[in-house]
Amino acid sequence: MIAHVNFKSGVPVYLQIVQQVKAAAASGSLRTGDALPSVRVLAEELRINRNTAARAYAELEAEGVIETRQGAGCFLKANGTSPLRKAVRSERLAEELDAVIIQAHHLQISDTELTALLAERLEAFRERQGLNGSSRP
Amino acid sequence: MSTPALDIQDLVLRYGRTEALHGLSLTVEPGQCYGFFGRNGAGKTTTIKCLLNLLRPQAGSVRVFGLDPRLHEAEVKARLAYVPDFVTFYPWMSVREALDYQASFRPRWNRGLEASLLRQFQLIEDAPTSGLSKGQRTQLALVGAMAAEPELLVLDEPTSGLDPLVRREFIQTVIGAYQDAAPGRRTVFVSTHLISEFEGLIDRFTVLDQGKAILTADADEARSRFRRLRAEFAGEAPPESDFPSAKSVRRQGRTLELIVNGDGDQVLEGLRSRHPVQLASESLTLEEIFLHSVH
Repeated sequence: MIAHVNFKSGVPVYLQIVQQVKAAAASGSLRTGDALPSVRVLAEELRINRNTAARAYAELEAEGVIETRQGAGCFLKANGTSPLRKAVRSERLAEELDAVIIQAHHLQISDTELTALLAERLEAFRERQGLNGSSRP
Repeated sequence: MSTPALDIQDLVLRYGRTEALHGLSLTVEPGQCYGFFGRNGAGKTTTIKCLLNLLRPQAGSVRVFGLDPRLHEAEVKARLAYVPDFVTFYPWMSVREALDYQASFRPRWNRGLEASLLRQFQLIEDAPTSGLSKGQRTQLALVGAMAAEPELLVLDEPTSGLDPLVRREFIQTVIGAYQDAAPGRRTVFVSTHLISEFEGLIDRFTVLDQGKAILTADADEARSRFRRLRAEFAGEAPPESDFPSAKSVRRQGRTLELIVNGDGDQVLEGLRSRHPVQLASESLTLEEIFLHSVH
């Protein structure tokens, strides 16, 4: 589920884990109710500090992606149970889209090309979801 | 705010007329895995000896769990375990006897953990300690340190005598198991110059150079501040002098490689405005950060 951490990406390690779990959940390779490895196992697999692994899980739990069941570990929560209001969620995404738009500007990618690329990536994402056998809620 | 596991302020220590530490300060919060990086002779072992009251500093203060090791030596030593870089045992003792001897001084001793570590390191209880290799001595000292379940584990170059396979195992499982047994309360203070092996394990670190802390940062923060930018141009690369804020610039024909600290985005902008055909940015590893900061 979690491939690896890249110390050269400049992204904090705990955030890389958060992003990878979200990506796995979005693509359907990780499904509602699936168990995540324990903090200790995750830390050992990725050769990272348990503090970092615990911080990643705490963040995922705060965002409503996973839940901790006492004594049993962490599990992926059903989609659509984000504790954040819709407006907040949209705002977060808008920020990330802005960053992409700025990057596109610097790479001299036109608006039409960018829109086409977004459509293409969405298509590829749907295909992966299809392969993982999950349907759109 | 909880009491720091370790708090060192303006520490000064002279050996005769040579000053080994001048004005070292650092704070380690409980539960952290803290890296103490420096070249040989930077003052790492000297600092550690001050924590154990093996050396008495001329100025500054040392607090371990809020206690002064000069006044509360026994309590401080009961709550921490120290694995030195050169380990010696009484040569007439076997592995078993050496552990029992250590256990007799300790308020706690985890027999189960001791047994599983002995198995993991393939140490034979009947073997005389006089016949152990440097790596095996370090392993035996680690078994003793972990079995005592201290609040603070002080490791001085713990992996230098270990072979690569054992090193990996040690770092992956031993430190993990130690901290996992009481999350947030077990602290590791590790001095090393083999930094790459601890890359993922370090929460926060201090680079010590000539007896002074020259860089203290969270590992993630350091990695996002220190970056290597590489730009390739269609023609000749712009001169080094165009980037005065870079820590180092290497220019090879059409390529420019810069090391930046903190102002990466600005320098990146500067490179972009010169229209490179390729532009890449990556973070430095902790080892590279160390090498660039001691230069």
